[in-house]
Amino acid sequence: MRIDLPASIAPSIAPLRGFIHRAHRVHPMISTCQTSTTARIVMPMTKAFAIGSSRFNFQAAKQRSRLLKAMRSWFDSHGYLEVDTPLLSPDLIPEPTIHTFATTFSHEFLGSREFYLVPSPEVFMKKLLAAGSGSIYQFSHCFRNNEQIGSHHNPEFTMLEYYTLDADEQDSMALTEELLAATAPKNCPDHLLPPFRKMSMAAACHAYAGIDLEKNQDVRDLRRAALRLGLSLPEEPESWEDTFNRIFLTFVEPSLPQDKPLVLDKYPIQIECLAAEDETGPWRKRWEMYAGGVELANCYDEMRDAQKIRAYYRKEYAKLSTERSQNGAVIPDADLSFADIFTKDFPRCSGVAMGMDRLLMLQTGITSLKGVILFPFPAMLGDG
Amino acid sequence: MIKAGQIEKGTALLIKGQPFVCIEREFVNPGKGSAFVRLKLKSPSTGQTLSETMKTQDNAEDIVVRDNDCQYLFNDGENFHFMLTETYEQIEVPMASFPDYQYIMKDGDTYRCTFWEEQILDIQIPSKVVFTVAEAEEAVKGDTVQGATKYVTTETGLKVRVPIFIKLGEKIRVNTETKEYLERVNN
Repeated sequence: MRIDLPASIAPSIAPLRGFIHRAHRVHPMISTCQTSTTARIVMPMTKAFAIGSSRFNFQAAKQRSRLLKAMRSWFDSHGYLEVDTPLLSPDLIPEPTIHTFATTFSHEFLGSREFYLVPSPEVFMKKLLAAGSGSIYQFSHCFRNNEQIGSHHNPEFTMLEYYTLDADEQDSMALTEELLAATAPKNCPDHLLPPFRKMSMAAACHAYAGIDLEKNQDVRDLRRAALRLGLSLPEEPESWEDTFNRIFLTFVEPSLPQDKPLVLDKYPIQIECLAAEDETGPWRKRWEMYAGGVELANCYDEMRDAQKIRAYYRKEYAKLSTERSQNGAVIPDADLSFADIFTKDFPRCSGVAMGMDRLLMLQTGITSLKGVILFPFPAMLGDG
Repeated sequence: MIKAGQIEKGTALLIKGQPFVCIEREFVNPGKGSAFVRLKLKSPSTGQTLSETMKTQDNAEDIVVRDNDCQYLFNDGENFHFMLTETYEQIEVPMASFPDYQYIMKDGDTYRCTFWEEQILDIQIPSKVVFTVAEAEEAVKGDTVQGATKYVTTETGLKVRVPIFIKLGEKIRVNTETKEYLERVNN
C-alpha cells in the first residue's frame, strides 16, 4: 500500500517516523520518503491482498452468477418476492451451538449498542411473513463465529432462504427438487439431481447403526446403546442430542447413500429448533438434505405456536447464557417479543435454508469452498 | 489433556491405553448442532485404523512425544529398519503403519521421527522431494502435443506422471503428499 500525502500536510508524518523506524525493523518494506511536493508512506501489502489474479477462480464466479440468475428467475416465476434484510441485528434467535460475531453501534448522541452479524436471516424474514409478505426468498450472507475453517466451512457464507406459504416440509421437499432440477448447470453431476432419495432419521439410524430411536428416548438408554456400539463417551452426563450426534456422525452420516441427493426427515424431537412437532411420533417436521456426503439444506414446517416459541426462547437463552458465561463468548441479546408475531394470522409456511457455496462447490466438482468463494477466510487470515 | 478441537493431523493420543496418531481430522456441525470433530486414528504398531467422533470440547489424552533423527536403512518387505543417529540403535517399524512410504523414503536418508517411549509414531517426510528417474518410457518422436504426459518410475519405485520431455536419469521434484510431479531439477 502506498499513501501519497500533499506537501501541505507532509510535516505531519514526522511524528510517525519513530513508529515507522520501529516497524521497519519488523518489516523492512515499511518506509517513508519526503520530497518537496509529497510525503509517501509505503507499507507492505498483507498476504490477503497480495494475491495474484491467478488465485481467483473466475470460472466459479461465472457459475455462481449463472446459478443466482437461474434461481431468481425460478422463484420469480413461482410467485415469490425477493427480499433483502439486514445483516446487522440487535437480537438473534438463541441458538447455543451457533457462535456470534458482535460489533458495536456507536453514536455521539445516541450512545452505543451491541449488534450482531446474522447467522441466518430467519428473524427478519419471519417478521415479513407475519406482515403479509407472501412467499419470500433471499440470498443472504450469514456469519458464524468460532467455527472451524475447512473445506466445507467458512465463517461468512451465502445462504438461500425461502419460505413458502400454505406449505409443509413435504411440499418444500418437492419444491426443492423442482428448484434444483430447473436451475442445475448443463453438465451437473447426476448425484446432485432429483429425484431425491428419502429416508426418515429413525430408518437411517436403524439401517446404519442398528439403533431403534423410539426405544431409546431416554438419554440413559441411548448412552448404553452408544457404548455398546463401541463409542467413547465422556464420563459426565451429556444431552440426548449430543449422544445422538455421536452415533449419527460416526455410523449414520458416513454411510448415507450418495448416488442421489438424500433427504433425512422426521428429526428427533429432543433436537430443539423452531420446527413444528410431528403428530405421528417423537419427531419434528424437519428435514436435512445431503448431497455428495455434504449437508446442503435444512427445512422446517415452521412452528407457529407463540407459547412454544416463547418457551424455546427462554430455555435456549438460559442454556446459551450459562454456557457462554463460563467461556466468555458473546451472549447475543434475544428479543422475547419475537414470539408475539405468531398470532392466529401468522401464515402456515415452510422454510428452507440452503448453503449456496456448498451447492456451487458440488456442482462445479471443486473439493473445497475455497475454490468457489473469491475471498475465502483462510486467505484473509494470511494462511490460505 | 487437550480439547478434541485442538487435535490435528499428527497429534498422538492414548485411546483405551493404546497410542494412536491422528491421520485425518474433519470438523462437523450436524444440523446446527454442537461442533464435533470426526477423527481417523491409526495405531503405529499395528496399522489398525479407528474412527472416533468427539465434541470439540471433549477432553482427549494426548501423549508426550519426542523427535529424533533416524537414518532409514532398508525395508525387508514387512518392516522399515531405522537407525537412531545419536545412539546408532536400530529400530523396526511395521511398513503397514506407513503405506506408500517405501516408495518415498530413500535408503541412507535421515528423517525426523516422532517417538512415544520406544515406538516410532510418525515419520516426517518433506513435502517436496527430489527423485531420480530410474525407468521412463521413451517419448514418441515427433509428439509435441502440449501437455502430453507419461509415467516414470523413480529410484524408490514411485510411479509419477510427468511431462513427456522427462528422460531417464533426470532429477524431478515431487509433491510427496499428492505424488504429483512439480518440476524438473537441473543438476
